[in-house]
Amino acid sequence: MKRAFQVGLAVLLFGLALYPTMASGYGIRFMLQLFMWVALAQSWNLISGLTGYVSFGHVAFFGTGAYAAGILVTTHGWHWVPASLAGGVAAVILALLIGYPCLRLKGPYFAISMLGLNEVMRVLVSYFEGLTGGGSGLSFPTQPASVQIYYAMALSALAVTGAAYFIITSRFGLKFMTIREDEVAAEAMGIDTARYKLGAFVLSAFVPGVVGGLFARDTGYIEPISVFALIITITMIVMALFGGKGTVWGPVLGAVTLFVLQELVWARFLFFYQILFGAIIVVVVLLMPRGILGVLQQRYHLPRTI
Amino acid sequence: MNVVITPAMVGQVVISGLLAGALYSLVALGLALIFGVMRVINIAHGTILMLGAYTTFWSFHILGLNPYLSLLVSMPLMFLLGVLLQRTFVRRVVDAPELSSLLLTFGISIALVNMAQLAFTSDLRSVEFLTGAFLLGPFAFSKSRVISFAFAVTLSLFAFWFLQRTKLGKAIRATSQSREVAMVCGINVQRIHLYSFGIASALSAAGGSLVAVMVAIQPEMGQVYTFKSFLVIVLGGAGNYPGALLGGMLLGLVEQLSSLFLTTQVSEAVAYLLLVLVLLLRPTGLLGGRST
Amino acid sequence: MQTRPILEVSGVTKRFGGVTAVNRCSLSLARGKIYGLIGPNGSGKTTLFNCITGLERRDEGEVRFKGGRIDGLKPHQVARRGIGRTFQIIRVFPELTALENLLVVTQGPFEAARRRAEELLRFVTLDRLQNEYAGNLSYGQQKLLEFVRVLMTDPELILLDEPAAGVNPTLLNELLAAITGLRDQGKTILIVEHDMKVVMGLSETIFVLDYGEKIAEGPPGVIQADARVIEAYFGR
Ligand SMILES: Nc1ncnc2c1ncn2[C@@H]1O[C@H](COP(=O)(O)OP(=O)(O)OP(=O)(O)O)[C@@H](O)[C@H]1O
Ligand SMILES: [Mg+2]
Repeated sequence: MKRAFQVGLAVLLFGLALYPTMASGYGIRFMLQLFMWVALAQSWNLISGLTGYVSFGHVAFFGTGAYAAGILVTTHGWHWVPASLAGGVAAVILALLIGYPCLRLKGPYFAISMLGLNEVMRVLVSYFEGLTGGGSGLSFPTQPASVQIYYAMALSALAVTGAAYFIITSRFGLKFMTIREDEVAAEAMGIDTARYKLGAFVLSAFVPGVVGGLFARDTGYIEPISVFALIITITMIVMALFGGKGTVWGPVLGAVTLFVLQELVWARFLFFYQILFGAIIVVVVLLMPRGILGVLQQRYHLPRTI
Repeated sequence: MNVVITPAMVGQVVISGLLAGALYSLVALGLALIFGVMRVINIAHGTILMLGAYTTFWSFHILGLNPYLSLLVSMPLMFLLGVLLQRTFVRRVVDAPELSSLLLTFGISIALVNMAQLAFTSDLRSVEFLTGAFLLGPFAFSKSRVISFAFAVTLSLFAFWFLQRTKLGKAIRATSQSREVAMVCGINVQRIHLYSFGIASALSAAGGSLVAVMVAIQPEMGQVYTFKSFLVIVLGGAGNYPGALLGGMLLGLVEQLSSLFLTTQVSEAVAYLLLVLVLLLRPTGLLGGRST
Repeated sequence: MQTRPILEVSGVTKRFGGVTAVNRCSLSLARGKIYGLIGPNGSGKTTLFNCITGLERRDEGEVRFKGGRIDGLKPHQVARRGIGRTFQIIRVFPELTALENLLVVTQGPFEAARRRAEELLRFVTLDRLQNEYAGNLSYGQQKLLEFVRVLMTDPELILLDEPAAGVNPTLLNELLAAITGLRDQGKTILIVEHDMKVVMGLSETIFVLDYGEKIAEGPPGVIQADARVIEAYFGR
């Protein structure tokens, strides 16, 4: 069983690596966006699925990365690859700055403080017009590079899923989960919860920053309301939740399912899009809060690592 | 800086702050009620405000109803919507982790906003009712703001009286102190939840009807009010209802004062910054709420 | 010359608003002994535990462990110095398996930790449930799991908050034997327990709290006869 899974995974990765050689432009852009959502949902999973600290403003890291990379590319002439990595670093710096104070907050207070952070970031970016172009946004003058971005997005998704795998399957990762399970007991058992929380938070910020940079380069244009949009946070949360938060493959499964559904089905109903999305959220929250994998796991006693 | 700030300007700003603050208090009191009683942050709170504003708009536009009289329509209507939402959805997440209630109410919110877009289009609407201003020495205050202020204060005080003095109000406060104790005392907690959500929605709708004469009405206008209301209850201390009233005034003041020195955009960020700062420095609220 | 006490609590006070939960309490524990801490409900036993382990910050007084001040340290720092505790209200990690509950608190070589965890689970007869989520175990089983979880970190001082409540009689005897066994290995143990037979049987010295104050201290026989203790328990 495990063997078959590994082989299947290897074949899949191989296929995805070759995909751009035979795909249409649309196909490539479809896939790179899919990878982006996998990376985002999985990143959210690292902080919220594992430690239970619900980040309701995770898009702040995405937007910060997008703008950091955007500024480096447009005004400093950086290549988009190092610029996107720098976007990740910028997100990590932001996470370090706000993580220490905000992670002391509990429950809904942490969630809302993150929401507030995202709003502050959006306003700040709009305000410093000289640097960011303000409300009118930032345009990239360069040529499209979908294939390269395809691989970069794929690597990002792979990296964060790999990190999730490593964390969730290790004793080290269990320590993150004790925070979600019972923070007081974890402290009393000698686990430095403040450090682990901050660690998970920083880890969960890096890839969204990188992916934000890649997204900016791919779309060629960013503006504050598009890269600091609350709906992006919600989408990553719902994807992770739908597949099963706190598991390795749940966020991947959730991101793939919902993204494909979204592109193939709802995109045709643009007018009702939010009604449908709202309905999906309600259904997921009420009927399957543990997600697909969470349910399977409980029913069949599967390990967390599937 | 070549802008001179005169005492008259400060006076004007302080009073404008209080005028705006009373509305925040009114709306936030609703959110505080839901949070206090169920520990749920209702992201759809501002959405209900938006629906209240549309109720006023349409009853003014079609029936020619006085916007202030339309409170008599919007409040009961949203009370019913609130009760319905609580009965069908929110009830199920009252004891779930905060993620569930945040997401659920967010889902309800975007669905309602989308419905409003379909039904009313995204055009900006306004109720041209009271224009002009009261002049008072060096100060000028738009009539609609002053009257809305009066309504907001009256309604808030009424709600407050209701919580303090009536049997239902006392039961609501008992439930927000401790659900277990309330249950032991024979209070039907499910019913209290239902009423609280209904009353909270009616308060939010009242806020919507009152802002309808002042600001542009559009389907996405509500979100800001959800956030501001949350800020207000953080300022006042969770579960502290008088705190919500004072918190609203405080927010109005801070916003207006900061708009003296900063652009409006940034003064909005100031509100959020305030939120984060207060959460960090005084997690139980400026006026002290109950600890968890 | 007598060796220095392993734990010295001197003049610790903790207030919650108007309630003084612990009032100028002083205790001194010598290494390698079992102590009991008793008192009516609400007399401040759990709060005193919390002040020792850093979960609550004491308002006054000091706590020394092996001679060093530990009041003011964070709970995990206290734990790292060698104080382990269990909770009155069970605090296992419900969505980790029984085995994971034990592994997660360890450091150092993994294999050794796993062997130790399996051994301890066998000891409390939970070995067949090692891959079950802790949240699915019965109350008594969770209690036992929490007890062995403390042992995983090999603390020198162990604070047990009502370890016997809800554990079935046959297992209880083994549990008590285990506690004496720990003492024989040189550990120091402080037990809060309402079951008088259990505390009186185990402890060499008993402290009695009433309204946050220590009203008596001594061997079980003396305590049982102490007028103030009887008054505290049977009303005044
Ligand atoms: N976090 C808190 N906030 C306010 N009061 C508290 C808090 N924790 C404890 N108290 C109060 O402190 C007093 C002592 O409580 P504590 O739990 O320490 O008693 P206890 O001796 O462990 O009782 P029991 O035998 O019932 O477990 C009680 O009056 C309790 O109400
Ligand atoms: Mg106790």
